[in-house]
Amino acid sequence: MNKKHLLLILAVTTFGYVNTAHSQSPISGFMQGKGKGNVSLSFSSEKYDDVYFIPEKVEGVPVFNETTVNSTSIYATYGISDQVDVVMVLPYITAKGKATEEVLTNLGLENERSGFQDVSVFVKYSPFNFDFGSSSLRLIGALGIKTPLSDYKVEEGFQSIIAIGNRSTTISTTGMAMFKMDNGVFASGQVAGNYASNDVPNSVTTELKVGYAAKSFYGDVYVANQKSTGGVDIFGEGFAGYFPITKVNYTKIGIDLYTPIYQDFGISAGASTLVAGRNIGQATGFYGGLVYKY
Amino acid sequence: MKNINIKSALLALTLMGTLVSCDSDFKDETPSIAGIAVANPNFSTLEGAAVQGGLVGVLSNSNPNDPSGHYTVFAPTNDAFARLGLVDAGTLGGLQNSFLTNTLLYHVSNGDLLASGIANGGTSISALGVSRRFISRGSDLYINGSKIILTDVSASNGTVHAIDKVMIATGVNIVDSAILLKDAKVFKAPELTFLVQAVITSGLAPVLSDANNNFTIYAPTDAAFKAAGFATVQDVANASPVVLQQVLLNHAIAGGKFTSEYSGTTAMTAGGGTLTYGAFTDGIFTIKSNGITTAANMVIPDIQCSNGVVHVIDKVLLP
Repeated sequence: MNKKHLLLILAVTTFGYVNTAHSQSPISGFMQGKGKGNVSLSFSSEKYDDVYFIPEKVEGVPVFNETTVNSTSIYATYGISDQVDVVMVLPYITAKGKATEEVLTNLGLENERSGFQDVSVFVKYSPFNFDFGSSSLRLIGALGIKTPLSDYKVEEGFQSIIAIGNRSTTISTTGMAMFKMDNGVFASGQVAGNYASNDVPNSVTTELKVGYAAKSFYGDVYVANQKSTGGVDIFGEGFAGYFPITKVNYTKIGIDLYTPIYQDFGISAGASTLVAGRNIGQATGFYGGLVYKY
Repeated sequence: MKNINIKSALLALTLMGTLVSCDSDFKDETPSIAGIAVANPNFSTLEGAAVQGGLVGVLSNSNPNDPSGHYTVFAPTNDAFARLGLVDAGTLGGLQNSFLTNTLLYHVSNGDLLASGIANGGTSISALGVSRRFISRGSDLYINGSKIILTDVSASNGTVHAIDKVMIATGVNIVDSAILLKDAKVFKAPELTFLVQAVITSGLAPVLSDANNNFTIYAPTDAAFKAAGFATVQDVANASPVVLQQVLLNHAIAGGKFTSEYSGTTAMTAGGGTLTYGAFTDGIFTIKSNGITTAANMVIPDIQCSNGVVHVIDKVLLP
């Protein structure tokens, strides 16, 4: 396989990132190369009606019964140099509940919240790339910031279950290793520390991904994990009815697929689901997107 | 070289695998009282009530008013709420929030009150400040008129027992309790408006509000008064005070008793008449007076007032 061509396909494989509450990392193991990049527009939808509380999974989201989060995201990445990429993500979120009209009236709540959420900007730096001949190992460090773009409200009480965001500004530092072989198989792992500006707990996120990339096909599967380093449990000590400040842990598995369709355009699709968690809905989500690389 | 690559890839995968392992270290943690209510589908109306009554935060946390940090909650099941027509969280909108909050607090007390510490004749002060009574009947144990159907569910911040009826306490005397209902301070729709007028017109208000008296009162609903021939509240106001007094006294028994405390089949009223009780079934019984052909049913039993117990019924007990 033409190594250069493979790289171009691989470089567009972070389109799967949708910035809903708990998404895939926007940092991939591939560098764009100087002057190159891609832009994608994706639509995702995730839904849950079961929630991981302490100590067990509970059927039915409190008050709202079921929650659906739809998001339309613009994702762009650009190679400033062969070793430095910038990544930008901007999602528009619509979160919907399914509370009955009576309950909404009784509690003074609404079943929908929507708006531009938090913009994320990351700078990726890849100082080391060890070439072993038929394979290579790349090390990447990334520094990012995620901050509210619109003046969406800090929701209070139970309305915060379907808040589109938590209005924290979060700094993330990511360390990553990417191993790939010329036959198209690759594996990457990353660890990130996320430091929130407000009462939202800090967290450590990890992601392990294995995939395969050929000339006209790309696919990966991943397992992602988040562990909050603080925060309270929902319905636990310290909980006063405000959901965004709770400890959120989860383990999620997912799949990403991509294929070029015409010239520089390609389409992407994927799915993910939570397999374990704490203070989080057992969401299953799907996405599809259009990718343009240049 | 290839071999080394595969080995290093495997090593990297293993390392990463340990980083992304599932988080399940909390599986043996005990949920809070609020957590138990949320997790159990039989308590979904209670969950809705705690949300609407603003007590979710309270029941999620330690009790600051008790050294143990614990609460005891007598938790009404969905069936218990349904007896009052409260079949889901949505129907709770028929209640005033302040009444709902107070009603929930009446089910809460400080510290752990385990089943082994509950005995016939015992009492327990609620977080509302009003005391509850424990009554044993056959092999069953009751708190007021509510049967305790499940005991000693352990929570991180206390103990939960399940009960089959919602307990209601007004904290005020019988007349003021009826006025709370009339003024829509309990349900958002007024109730007992005819009865309150009858109490006023009959001149019995001072007797029924006297803290030194203690009664069981069968309180007919507005629909019951209409069925008995009073089309409007004004009709009650225009009625003979002597006749009204005679009729009302047929609804009063000396000594406030919960349904669980009744054993006899007849009772003498304050007016000298006799009431006949049906069998004690599912926590309630029917009441028949001499002036009616079919017995009255209890609509809302066991309302605790400061000077007695009121059972709301669906017929006027004509002497």
